[in-house]
Amino acid sequence: MVFNTLTFVVFFAIVVALHSLPLAWTTRKINLLIASYVFYAAWNPPFILLLWISTVVDWYAAQGLVRAERPSSRRAWMLLSVVANLGMLLYFKYGKFLLLNFIAVMATFGVHYQPPDIDIVLPVGISFYTFATMSYTLDVYLRRALPARNFLDYALFVTFFPHLVAGPIMRPTELVPQFERPRRANARQLCFGLALMTLGLFNKVVLADTFLSGAAERVFDRGKVPGLLDAWAGTLAFSGQIFCDFAGYSTTAIGAALCLGFSMPDNFRFPYAAVGFSDFWRRWHITLSSWLRDYLYIPLGGNRHGPLRTAMALMTTMLLGGLWHGANWTFVVWGGLHGTYLLAERGVRKRFSGYRPGPFALLGLGLLTYTLVNLTWVFFRAKDFGTAWSVLRGMVGFNTGAKPILPVIFLSSVAVIVTGVVTAHWCMRERTLESVLARTPPLLLAIVWGLMAFAIVISQGSGNAFIYFQF
Amino acid sequence: MPSSTSNSRRLTAADRPGVAQPVPVRDLPDRPWWPILLGALLLAVALTGVWEWHWRALGAIPGTRDDNALWARQRRKVDEGRADATVLIGSSRTLFDIQLPVWERLSGRRPIQLALVGTSPLFALEDLAADVQFKGKVLVGVTPDLFFSGYEYLTGLIPYLRKESPSQRVGKLISMDFVEPWFAFYDQDFALFTVLRRQPWPHRKDLEESISVRKLLISEPDRNAHLWSKLETDADYRSLARRIWTQNFDDPPSTAQEIAENQRTLDTQISRASTAIARLRARGVPVLFVRDPSSGDYLAFENRAFPRRTSWDVLLAKTHAPGVHFQDYSALQGYDLPEWSHMTRASAERYTEALYGIIERDFAPPDGTRW
Repeated sequence: MVFNTLTFVVFFAIVVALHSLPLAWTTRKINLLIASYVFYAAWNPPFILLLWISTVVDWYAAQGLVRAERPSSRRAWMLLSVVANLGMLLYFKYGKFLLLNFIAVMATFGVHYQPPDIDIVLPVGISFYTFATMSYTLDVYLRRALPARNFLDYALFVTFFPHLVAGPIMRPTELVPQFERPRRANARQLCFGLALMTLGLFNKVVLADTFLSGAAERVFDRGKVPGLLDAWAGTLAFSGQIFCDFAGYSTTAIGAALCLGFSMPDNFRFPYAAVGFSDFWRRWHITLSSWLRDYLYIPLGGNRHGPLRTAMALMTTMLLGGLWHGANWTFVVWGGLHGTYLLAERGVRKRFSGYRPGPFALLGLGLLTYTLVNLTWVFFRAKDFGTAWSVLRGMVGFNTGAKPILPVIFLSSVAVIVTGVVTAHWCMRERTLESVLARTPPLLLAIVWGLMAFAIVISQGSGNAFIYFQF
Repeated sequence: MPSSTSNSRRLTAADRPGVAQPVPVRDLPDRPWWPILLGALLLAVALTGVWEWHWRALGAIPGTRDDNALWARQRRKVDEGRADATVLIGSSRTLFDIQLPVWERLSGRRPIQLALVGTSPLFALEDLAADVQFKGKVLVGVTPDLFFSGYEYLTGLIPYLRKESPSQRVGKLISMDFVEPWFAFYDQDFALFTVLRRQPWPHRKDLEESISVRKLLISEPDRNAHLWSKLETDADYRSLARRIWTQNFDDPPSTAQEIAENQRTLDTQISRASTAIARLRARGVPVLFVRDPSSGDYLAFENRAFPRRTSWDVLLAKTHAPGVHFQDYSALQGYDLPEWSHMTRASAERYTEALYGIIERDFAPPDGTRW
């Protein structure tokens, strides 16, 4: 079920109503669990089995970890969880990709292997919930957390519908304790939750889908060679689209959880105001970047074993982070570019360790960061390297003689919205949304909220899936 | 969950490496949220009301949204108890010009309307041919510049049909019951960006732009559809619709290469149709082609670009299927086509009656059943 559909509106109204009834806490948690399964089954009912497998395996693995005394036993339970989760992920998400690469490698050796056609359907959100459940066993293995006291709380942590299919990627320690005591949203939480949901849907339906996706699609998907203006407009459009789409999802999810009385963590912190790439990754998809840091980068050695080992750990983390987004080498290049940026930044910071930029230098460095981030979005958005190179050549002015692609309305939309998004990020760089709202006159809040709701209605979004669902 | 709000940045997992993450804390801005919600709701409802009034003032009326989900609902009928139905496949002329209630009155059974706007219908025909459950009858509408050019833009319908999620099905039901019958503005032609695109923006030099087709259709829940009455009553709108068609009235190919390319495309379409029809016929499914009327400059263009002798006649000869061409029957001529391509509702009702009479008279199935 997608947030931006009528089905979800009805579903959510029923869930909030049921959760508000004066029922026992266990009953209300069971309601939430059933609702979450309905939410997931609304895409493809059989895939609930995968969710159950992931849930049950990690529950028993964590129990086993607690009982195990020898390190080898503990490692075995941990590996069971990792292999089961990554195995599912490998098969469903990377099965075809691996096979195609195997065929290509064999072909280079003159072996023409032709396997039967396979059509593997990617279960929605598998990358998200496998990471969430793995963090449960890994936290227990690393002795950072105790296992959940009962299966219901744990199953609800895995399945809780606001975060289930596209994050924020929750850790058990963030959510399981919230299920231990009765929770119900008060009137202010409910209202503010609805406001956040409206803001999230405005980002998704109006900004991402209505105004930005068309420009990106015309530049990246129609096989035309873009000139300087179109290449930049298409790329900037995508930079705005992916932020509004994904941050829109996270904001809606946080708002939905709040309407039920639960707290979820921030997933974005105005990332286009980042100065440098380590700053960018502390602001962009925070729950994924911190997951990769805690369960991949640090176990690989982090920055504790010298510059070479640090570089290897960092690059491995970013390459795998790129691959997490999709089974395509373009995503690996995207991750590799970010890894390279991060390594370069480490070098620059070391070289100029005493340098403190003034306001203009800060702005300049921020714009440089944003520009370089945009170059990476080209690989993220392009379906193949041919398209990526074509757009990159356009961005540096090499596609002379290219015919115009985007009409003025598309160029204007991109210019206004992307400028607005980047400016808003800079204004909000050191603030929270809540701190700004707390100082905004109520009348203005009502007007802005009403206008956003109206814009959502008249945009008539067609329930387009969120971009991150495919990951 | 504190209700006060500080200016300081809220900590996230990014600030806490390598430790168990605590329960997140979300600030609640200290504002009067109930009155704010009420105010926002009132404003949104008022603005939506004004928007609705605006479109109704321009002649819009509520109608069922003709989208993938609606088409899939009709297509599923074939697999859900109506495998012996008469199925209408074709482009927009079949959709607009054949009125299901009239057909039902004459035949006793309502056909399933699967014609599609603005695309060659061959992929839908192929899908039906591949469905071994289907044992009914097929009427295939032929709009020459779509059918023979191979222009297909709704091919995603078949994958949608196979993969439609329960959520999408329920969403369409909710929309059909609670939104579409009440709101005239709920139409893709009146969506925010569509409306903005129509404004007189400056033109970029060398950019090939064309005016998109404007709203022509009013649909019902079973895809019985008719031409929007604005085409009859508003001369400017009618003129705009004609101008939009004119954009596609290219001259016939002139170079040998273009002529050969066009011929290859045409041969491919006819070959695809032959294959599909052979599969249908093998199951005893009667197939009938129908060339619905067009007029004015549109007809002239069709005659130039796809002369009957080299397109329609070849189609019938190669597929060995019968066909009804409107120019062969006086009863199928003389209808009102405001924008040269689709009939008014009143004309469509009379046309359906005449067409059905001809079909029953000249193309009655050998097993004695009715179309």
